[in-house]
Amino acid sequence: MAALLDRFAPIMSQRDALFGDDGVNPFQVKMDQVLSQTEAMIGGRRTILVGTNNYLGLTFAPEALKAAHEALDACGTGTTGSRVANGTYYGHKELEDSLCEFFNKEHAMVFSTGFLANLGILSTLMGPEDYILMDADCHASIYDGVRGSSAQIIRFRHNDAADLDKRLNRLADKPGNKLIVIEGIYSMLGDKAPLAEIVAVKKKYENVYLLSDEAHSLGVLGKYGRGLPEEAGCEDDVDFIVGTFSKSVGTVGGFCVSNHPQFDILRLMTRAYVFTASLPPSVVASATVNLGLVKNGGALRKRLMRNANKLHAGLTAIGLKIASENSPVVAVVAPDPVMAVAFWRGLIEAGVYVNLALPPATPYGYSLLRASLCAAHTEEQLDEVIAIFAEVAAKVGIVAPAEKKRVAVG
Amino acid sequence: MNAPTGAEPSPDTLAALFEILKSFNKAGIALTPGTRFSEDLNFDSLIVMEFVAEVEDAFDISVPLNILPDVATIRELALAVEKIVAEDK
Ligand SMILES: Cc1ncc(COP(=O)(O)O)c(C=O)c1O
Repeated sequence: MAALLDRFAPIMSQRDALFGDDGVNPFQVKMDQVLSQTEAMIGGRRTILVGTNNYLGLTFAPEALKAAHEALDACGTGTTGSRVANGTYYGHKELEDSLCEFFNKEHAMVFSTGFLANLGILSTLMGPEDYILMDADCHASIYDGVRGSSAQIIRFRHNDAADLDKRLNRLADKPGNKLIVIEGIYSMLGDKAPLAEIVAVKKKYENVYLLSDEAHSLGVLGKYGRGLPEEAGCEDDVDFIVGTFSKSVGTVGGFCVSNHPQFDILRLMTRAYVFTASLPPSVVASATVNLGLVKNGGALRKRLMRNANKLHAGLTAIGLKIASENSPVVAVVAPDPVMAVAFWRGLIEAGVYVNLALPPATPYGYSLLRASLCAAHTEEQLDEVIAIFAEVAAKVGIVAPAEKKRVAVG
Repeated sequence: MNAPTGAEPSPDTLAALFEILKSFNKAGIALTPGTRFSEDLNFDSLIVMEFVAEVEDAFDISVPLNILPDVATIRELALAVEKIVAEDK
């Protein structure tokens, strides 16, 4: 008889091979004290955080803290109920109205996390006669969501509108509705969807809808932070926008907005909405306030991108390979998992936190040191981060010898 | 999705799949119609996805993710591919 979790044996041995010694383990990183949006005490060391998805640095916005404190005192620590039972307070309604106003859409549903928003919407939207065409690099929550759908699930090549076109063309005679699923900015590599091209393909066919997960682009792209559809000028062509409050909005929660006239029935049909407790009022209050800050966050967006481009330039100059340009996600591609782990450990031991991402959780089997920038990072912090990257990259042997020498001298 | 017992895919379909599998079969395991993707070839989810994308290109079809849990062997994949090709006609 096999032990219960024996089927994970290959992963367990990979984990033990990579992390089995006494070194720091990325799954055990613990923030003992949060110093600010960009610094924390980890393992007794002041650590610069460059992997938090806290793009606009709103986690300590005074207006949101105040609103959260007030909601906490007024409504308590939790709702203890589902949105469709006892869990809808005035704050949840206000937040949904704010989302409608923010995105200029008719309908909004707030979920307890972005993961649940994807899980709920994608498992519910399409029926047995329908088709979901998803970008191959979509997030785990999208994969899990479509797995719960009764539709046929088809993947198209990442960011390849021509491949999507080919696949829609094959389905042109099938009667069902079709849903294209993409992300505004892809989480791991930080690359953007070619939205205008995808919209052009969508328009060639009948009964095709488009859903975009704006998890990493909300607050980051567009003059008012409405994400890639705003930046690309095709907001009316994106039928459903899913998003999260856990990144630029600086708290937790998920949502879906749409102009679809029948949208409201999803409140009764979406199991991940009906059968889970709603967000606590303090979280709802912070999300509502921060959404306003996101909208008027032009200056923060400028600072975020200035920081991102500074880190990108600094790391490129060291000789590191970065997956995407002009993105708030700066993902350093390491040659293999062993090097990536050594690199990551070197960074954390020197006081820099980034995300370590290894296959199979990454596209193309990449081993990544994934940095995400924050508008609140200072020039000095980023200079320090770049210097530490250079030191560690040389020590680990990840950059070419010539550059190693230059780094060692510099 | 399971084929009726006894149904056999055409040798051409199998040959095309064997050809695609060459670059994924790093251990050089001998391929037969009964070779299993996960147990014999050690395919993880990432490799399955890359492999399916190549099969889709080779046959000019879309293979719905829904059928993958029912496809364990090369024979089963060949039959599934033939079914999709026939439906697309
Ligand atoms: C693309 C994408 N969608 C959804 C989510 C889930 O968001 P949440 O953290 O709110 O569950 C994430 C992040 O975790 C993400 O990167």
